[in-house]
Amino acid sequence: MLLTTVARQGLCLSRSQFGVLYRHVVPMGTTANEEMNKFWAKNTRLNRPVSPHISIYKWSIPMMMSISHRGTGVALSSGISAFALAALVLPESYPYYLDLIHSMTFGPQFLAFSKFALAFPVAYHTFNGIRHLAWDLGKGFKIPEVYRSGYIVVALTVLTSIGLAAM
Amino acid sequence: MLTQIYVMFFMQYFIPSTAVLLCNTHLSRGLVAYQKNRDVEPFRLTAGRIHAASSHSTVSSSRAASMHWTGERVLSIVLLMDYSIAAALTLHGHWGIGQVLTDYVYGDVKVKLAKAGVLLLSTTTFFGLCYFNYHDVGLCKAVAMLWQI
Repeated sequence: MLLTTVARQGLCLSRSQFGVLYRHVVPMGTTANEEMNKFWAKNTRLNRPVSPHISIYKWSIPMMMSISHRGTGVALSSGISAFALAALVLPESYPYYLDLIHSMTFGPQFLAFSKFALAFPVAYHTFNGIRHLAWDLGKGFKIPEVYRSGYIVVALTVLTSIGLAAM
Repeated sequence: MLTQIYVMFFMQYFIPSTAVLLCNTHLSRGLVAYQKNRDVEPFRLTAGRIHAASSHSTVSSSRAASMHWTGERVLSIVLLMDYSIAAALTLHGHWGIGQVLTDYVYGDVKVKLAKAGVLLLSTTTFFGLCYFNYHDVGLCKAVAMLWQI
């Protein structure tokens, strides 16, 4: 980083030797990351309020689906971590705890709903993930395409979750 | 799962005591049963030779043998699947949470702390999932069992 700074300054010096034309060019002595940190440090220090953004901007389907993708991702990841930690910490084995749940008298509708609730984030994150992969290939960026693929993802999610809950 | 049912049936036929053992340790997957079956190989061959006269039992024992072989391969793939899923899930989750951090956490110290925390969580998660795969029923079986409630 220091080397880059020195090198940049060195470059500038050699450029200014060649005349008046380059005198307005100023070397960037900081990285983008440093600039960002400086911005946040200064503004939090001065206790400046943040302009309203998500509280005033009109919500759209693509926006909602995007944050839902992140939300389901974090939720699923937390669930997996909780499961793994439970496996390490809890004394009994998995079938024991399953039998515990089995012995509790839950109605079939509650069980079906629980399965739906478990399957839904998995299905949504998977299908929207495929939508993301299509974007990564450069496909489907036109606004009508974004909406169409979004609707397809939601429809597939609901159908798959119902199908899985019925199993 | 079909493999486990088949293995348990097969074992009880030749060594009744293992039936009790298997019932107590059915949670430790086919791993224990798999080991026990290897010990039983020579016994089964002898049994086959004793009943060589009756063609029906040799046919059924060779069918059982080939089914057993398939069961072993299926089990290996499922075990492979369990660990692959554990690895894929934890790595994908680790990178995903990392992106969330990058978006919302600012300042060198805070970023470093948060990244270290996530690394610790991901490592523990992977270790916990592998532990579950080895000592307990395994991820695939766990989901199947949960869905059967």
